[in-house]
Amino acid sequence: MILLLALAPTLLAQQNKVNIAPSDPLTVKRGESAKQVLKAVILDGFHVNSDKPKDDYLIPLKLTWAAGPLEAKAISYPKPEELELNGSHMLVYTGTVPIETEFAVAKDAPKGPNAIIGRLKYQACNSNMCFQPKTLDVKVSVVIE
Amino acid sequence: MHKSLVLAVAFVCLVSCSSKQTVSASGPTPSANRKLAADFSLKDENGATVKLSDYRGKVVLLNFWATWCGPCGLEIPWFIDFEQKYKSQGFAVLGVSMDDDGWPAVKPYVAERKINYRILMGNDSVAQFYGGVDALPMSFVIDKEGKVAATHKGLIGKNEYANEIQCLLGDKPLDSAASTSANAACPAK
Repeated sequence: MILLLALAPTLLAQQNKVNIAPSDPLTVKRGESAKQVLKAVILDGFHVNSDKPKDDYLIPLKLTWAAGPLEAKAISYPKPEELELNGSHMLVYTGTVPIETEFAVAKDAPKGPNAIIGRLKYQACNSNMCFQPKTLDVKVSVVIE
Repeated sequence: MHKSLVLAVAFVCLVSCSSKQTVSASGPTPSANRKLAADFSLKDENGATVKLSDYRGKVVLLNFWATWCGPCGLEIPWFIDFEQKYKSQGFAVLGVSMDDDGWPAVKPYVAERKINYRILMGNDSVAQFYGGVDALPMSFVIDKEGKVAATHKGLIGKNEYANEIQCLLGDKPLDSAASTSANAACPAK
């Protein structure tokens, strides 16, 4: 118990500020397109930069997908909030952030269960400090018919 | 055992409830309680090797920051002021960048903001010496003997830094209006 108490501050500092909500499996047809919505859930009290922050030095929220049986054709981010913090106006996300990807399914994609693999990069802050940028691995189950 | 586990979980929850994790010294730590700041050796933007111990005899504001850190950017003009105002009295700001992208990201930022103090490129080893530096900005005010007089995690006010610096330079007693400490006097050296 003493060890747990001693480690608590470190563990909390290393806690992910963003988590990916579980996704329902995606059922798609060969040769067609499909949409998938990934939900990034931001811990209460924190915000992440939007996909297009105002300052070039800020690290944007960015979802990327690995090559596979489904090809990502377009990724749409929601409209950000404008946050005034310490005199600066920023474009950020808080709460749950739905990110939609439109995929094209190859005509010769192998039928059956599969998966699409992605990565979500973010950089989180609260009202007076910022945390190292992080990248989360994303995996969505897919059934190709 | 069960009760102990419940208490431990409750403690963890209590600590996590606060999103503001500022660890701010209420004025400089009394001299007798200060610990030696870990020495390190890092490169500046000209490639010169800089050690913290090179600054023994001076008051140092050691600031861990990054170009992507908004609150860090807010402090920089204050540190520029401090460097200009107090340098001749034996003070220096050392900015340790924690940018993974290195000098290609940092040099343009330093030039744009006309930073007049030394910038060093940090690494995980040095960060570990200073508690891991898991959040930025993270600053340490170091006295002339190389001991940590104050630690600040997150953005604080300019006056708080100014008071600590002036106190350690021996300029004046700590301003009680800017300090939350019950002891408003500048701790004896």
